[in-house]
Amino acid sequence: MTWLNILKHHRWKLGLLVLAANIGVLLNLAFGTPKAFHEWQWLDIIGEGGTALFVLLWLVLVLKSRPTGRVTNYLSIGLCCIFFSWWMDVLDEFIRLPKHLGWNHWLESGPMPVGMVLLTIGLYHWHREQQAINQQMEKRERIFREHRLFDKLTPLGGADYLKRQVSDCMAQSLEQQQPLSLLALDIDDFASLNQHYGHAEGDAVLQALSQLLLLNLRRHDLLCRLAGDRFVVLLPNTGESQARLLALELQQAVQSLAHKTRQHGERVYLSASTAVVMAFNEAPDELLKRLNLALARAKPVRSKRA
Amino acid sequence: MSLDSRWYEADTRFIPGHYQPATLIDLALSRDIDSHRLLRGTGLFYDDIVGGNTRLSPQQFFGLIANAQRLLGADDSSFLFGQRLLPGHYGPASHALQQAQNLHQALETVIHHRALLSPLLTPRLLLDERYAYVYWLDSCGAQEQLRFVQEASMTALKSMSQWLSGERLPWECSFSYPEPRYVEQYWVHLGENTQFGGQLDLMRLPREYLTRPWPNTSAIARQVAHQQAQSQLHELGFSASLLDRLYVHLRDQAQRAPGLEEVAQHFAMSQATLKRKLNKHGTHFQAQQDQARKHVALYLYQIKGFSNEAVAEYLNFNDPANFRRALKRWTGCTPNLIRKFMTL
Repeated sequence: MTWLNILKHHRWKLGLLVLAANIGVLLNLAFGTPKAFHEWQWLDIIGEGGTALFVLLWLVLVLKSRPTGRVTNYLSIGLCCIFFSWWMDVLDEFIRLPKHLGWNHWLESGPMPVGMVLLTIGLYHWHREQQAINQQMEKRERIFREHRLFDKLTPLGGADYLKRQVSDCMAQSLEQQQPLSLLALDIDDFASLNQHYGHAEGDAVLQALSQLLLLNLRRHDLLCRLAGDRFVVLLPNTGESQARLLALELQQAVQSLAHKTRQHGERVYLSASTAVVMAFNEAPDELLKRLNLALARAKPVRSKRA
Repeated sequence: MSLDSRWYEADTRFIPGHYQPATLIDLALSRDIDSHRLLRGTGLFYDDIVGGNTRLSPQQFFGLIANAQRLLGADDSSFLFGQRLLPGHYGPASHALQQAQNLHQALETVIHHRALLSPLLTPRLLLDERYAYVYWLDSCGAQEQLRFVQEASMTALKSMSQWLSGERLPWECSFSYPEPRYVEQYWVHLGENTQFGGQLDLMRLPREYLTRPWPNTSAIARQVAHQQAQSQLHELGFSASLLDRLYVHLRDQAQRAPGLEEVAQHFAMSQATLKRKLNKHGTHFQAQQDQARKHVALYLYQIKGFSNEAVAEYLNFNDPANFRRALKRWTGCTPNLIRKFMTL
């Protein structure tokens, strides 16, 4: 989301927060007297002011990273209340209020529990939301998440994510005495597709393909994009013959995909080569290398579009 | 002045912004990268590039590459850039490339018009009985960007030749640096047989592919485009970089190994100027001298099949121990190891 969008979507909440913070300042100034410089408690100012600033930073991060909605509202209003509480706390480091006033305690301590409750409700719903999203990430993610390893083009993990998963799965399959297979799929003549229809169309094909391949996989399989037009599927508890069957199915799925170009709606005919290897007792790098060499042997020699 | 007596340097502004740089800019924009951030620190403006009037120096191009690499943050940037580079839309030189009758002509075009087609990296062609070798040399001191430029250039040559020939060509690539973390990008874009930790940055292919005819070409159109590209080079006033010219001179004089003073004289400048210019390109005279002599030694071993003694004699080493030491310094290997390595 851009900053402009954030301001547009959350203008009421943010406007109210600014207004409340200003009213707080004005009320303090109206009823109290400013403290002299030597009376300032630096430790308190830094502690309370710093906390207020951090809460503000969290608010910004939440608003910037999340789509609008119920959960975002809980989180942001909760953080607004907490910020306001700390803000009032900081103000009385600079302004002395008469002892007999009651409202200043309310302004200082009242919003805090409300904010905490709202934030907790928000976090709980966020947890539920995350579970729902995890379900959608099935076949694209296994146990471990690291956003820096996501592919930049397709909604899949990249090569580094795959390598990590391969070594984890190899250890696991050794432990459980279960076979582990790897499947590589590469689009035939992808370069000429790029030349023909442009690189943007090539990117669109890759994105469509990643969705298509996901649909054709089992729940516990993991699909990653290795590089370029080459995808790798990690197949736990799968022997070579079953993996070959899956490879064939994927190949057929790619062939029957009737992708249409974005500009003229032309049908793009695709075909794919696949290769399958079963993991032995070897280094993960070696396994991937073996898989890619097998794929190189499976590729047709002469391109069809020439 | 003739083309051969002049050159471009790292700060010569001659690369049209709408040639190779635009290809990189388009790639970055297609990944939703902001054009201001992309051009930050390069002294370039997007509107000027679109206007077609901007000329970049190699240094500015390196700055642009550094920005693109950082903002794209992906291991495949150089390869994707390379796929889009050739034959390109760089005026008559690109037309000449497109009309090449076979791979040999295409390579000759890329090499001859390298100032237009590959200004950052110099390709050179060598032949023996079995293979054609294309090796690449740094034209302008790419330094941190050298690997990006090498990956892009080799990918460019490979994908251009496959596209224009209409077949999968069995190029094999070898890089002088150790195997990088993202080796799978090399497998997919340059082939599974890519080697690392070699002596040169080179690609080779069986010789018979050089002369296989390419489809849909016109000899006349190529001839005309070639002449037009030639006059474009004459307008520029040069066809190669200073490092390139220096390499050729040192290679031709490898037997004598001329000193800094003599070489500076050959290039009609003072020793201090040559030193300063080399420093600007991130290198120094001895490194260039060593590189040229190393390449001559490798050439004699590989292409001519010379023995250790013959190579030592050709390069005027009187003492075998001196030769061993020099070779070790140039390549990190002893003479016997080198010969074994080359026969692989």
